[in-house]
Amino acid sequence: MWLWFAKLGSPKWFYELSTKWLPWLTAAMVLTLGVATIWALLYLPPDYQQGYTSRILVVHVAVAGTSLAFFPLMAVAGTITLVWKMKLADMVAKNAAALGAWFSFITLATGSLWGSVSWGTWWEWSDSRLVSMLFQFFLLLGVVSLRSALEDSEKAAKACALLSIVGCINVVVIKYSVEWWNTLHQPASPVSMESGSANGPEFWIATALMILGVYLFLSVSLILSTRNEILQRERKALWVQELLADTKSGRG
Amino acid sequence: MDSTALNKPSTWSAFALTLKRDLLIAFKRKNDIVNPFMFFVIVVSLFPLAISPEPTKLAEIAAGVIWIAVLLSAMLSMDSLFRADFEDGSLEMLLLSPHPLFFLVLAKNIAHWIVSGLPVVIASPLLAYMLKLPGDSYLTLLLSLLIGTPTLSLIGSIAVALTVGLGSRGLILAVITLPFSVPVLIFGTLAVQSSAAGLPAGGYLALMLAILAGSLSLAPLTSAAALRISVS
Amino acid sequence: MTDTSFQHTPDNSPLFEVCNLRCERDERLLFSALSFAINPGSALQIAGSNGSGKTTLLRIICGLNDGFEGQIRWRGFDRSEQSEAFAADLLYLGHRVGVNKVLSPLENLRWSAGLQVKVSEAELMKALSDVGLRGFEESPCYTLSAGQQQRVSLARLRLSPATLWVLDEPFTTLDVDAVARLEQTLADHAEKGGAVIVTTHHKLELPKLQRLTLG
Repeated sequence: MWLWFAKLGSPKWFYELSTKWLPWLTAAMVLTLGVATIWALLYLPPDYQQGYTSRILVVHVAVAGTSLAFFPLMAVAGTITLVWKMKLADMVAKNAAALGAWFSFITLATGSLWGSVSWGTWWEWSDSRLVSMLFQFFLLLGVVSLRSALEDSEKAAKACALLSIVGCINVVVIKYSVEWWNTLHQPASPVSMESGSANGPEFWIATALMILGVYLFLSVSLILSTRNEILQRERKALWVQELLADTKSGRG
Repeated sequence: MDSTALNKPSTWSAFALTLKRDLLIAFKRKNDIVNPFMFFVIVVSLFPLAISPEPTKLAEIAAGVIWIAVLLSAMLSMDSLFRADFEDGSLEMLLLSPHPLFFLVLAKNIAHWIVSGLPVVIASPLLAYMLKLPGDSYLTLLLSLLIGTPTLSLIGSIAVALTVGLGSRGLILAVITLPFSVPVLIFGTLAVQSSAAGLPAGGYLALMLAILAGSLSLAPLTSAAALRISVS
Repeated sequence: MTDTSFQHTPDNSPLFEVCNLRCERDERLLFSALSFAINPGSALQIAGSNGSGKTTLLRIICGLNDGFEGQIRWRGFDRSEQSEAFAADLLYLGHRVGVNKVLSPLENLRWSAGLQVKVSEAELMKALSDVGLRGFEESPCYTLSAGQQQRVSLARLRLSPATLWVLDEPFTTLDVDAVARLEQTLADHAEKGGAVIVTTHHKLELPKLQRLTLG
């Protein structure tokens, strides 16, 4: 077990393993995302209450659910960085922060797109999920900007690891305090998102498929960007040099 | 080297020494005390000009305005918490002292709060009066600030410790700290608003106390770790 | 000042020992396979050109920097397992002297020495006059010259109970007189069974002096 863990920490091992896995993951991603998107956006029957806008919800729910995974992921990676000084964890965390910010942004964008039709407004403070997602977005941007501000990459790795752990705790506290705040400031709420549950089983199957697809997309992009990061940071290592030579001679 | 063990000061005396030193520095520099306070007063005074002098409108926003001004002034003053020590090398001494860093960081936090947070808390009833805050909520405002401002200092010190090595850190500090302050802001304003509406506010104050207790035990630990990262 | 009273010290292990140290900074190898040991009563001078990693090495020795591979032992123990006891036995004077500008030398010393050892006001005053700051005890440090500020930090040497002194370029801003006095302080410390690790370009004359050149 321990050996496996230590092995996993080696960028080279990760690079080689991911080379084998990547085509399969990508194929699975294209398949699930393709099927889910076409089904959800073109063939899903309209909801009796929301009409065709419920189709946006499939994308929104999937992206939103996935974007909640980023802080826990970064906190775990951060703990590994700080405790075991494993470089690979930081390479994953570095890209996760930026990717997480994008996911949060897309969640907010699809959420307000759906809201603009269903609620008649692009932004609604009375939905606590939107508000806490906004703050998760800010927190992730904070991690990204701390990373870019610190020049020393080792220092940046540790500082961002610490901030991710603190941020992960904070996201939870913010979520509950915003919910609390919301129940007390509840104006006449427009159609609540809960009405999504009025959708039939087809909606949920499409959403589940979409969630799977988005998670696959997340994994593929994380793996790809981590591979980039590995090549860049290990560019002086022998195995990267050999790899580069192979690629060049293969082309020439 | 028996003398090392015998003559080593207790952690408590190191804590007291650090607290006294930081207070002394602040009283000699004066700016550290006056500026956050003036900033707070000025920001609050701008709101009636920007929104409306109408008492009913002001009363409605008073709690929020005071809390946001407190938040901003706390954040701006935080920057000086470790900066001078980082620049002159005292921070290295702090890290290499034979005492748990937790207590020394806590001492610095407390000194900083006494200097920059307490004056703001004391001045808040006056500004609340100028903003026409309903009469029943003064005590709640004072209590909520008394609990909330140390929490803000403790949480903020993590971000300050993380960014202390940066050349220009004013804005990045804000980007990191402000989202962290959301829970304190929410419960602080809720407490004042509910007491202004004649409802009990004890529950919110208790929640804020819980957050303070949590930050008191975790934040100095995290700040200490962050300082070790920044100084390395 | 012998280390015999430290009950847990295994016999014959040096006061401070570095084994197979390797440090890479910003993708540049500063040093590798670096090993040395230092015993009570001796001194180690670290030389090397600018940027050769002298300061980094000193910071690694003290525990300020953990970006290294290799082993660091103090009195035979892994340093990281004894960090508090090690800190009580270590005095580090960095490149930045740790003197707050608005405080007076006395106030500075009261804190910086007081973190490590219980000192009386009389001892503080004596230490300050020993480094040639008599008459300046109460003036704010921003009115003092760079050399005088450095003397404030050197006053810690006279109060500290630490066995291991780690000094980063302690001679730079000092005048001839102060340099001679500091050399004497180092020699006295070694004679009493202390150990000194110092980076300097200055020609040091100390008994049992080892030299280590980086880069």
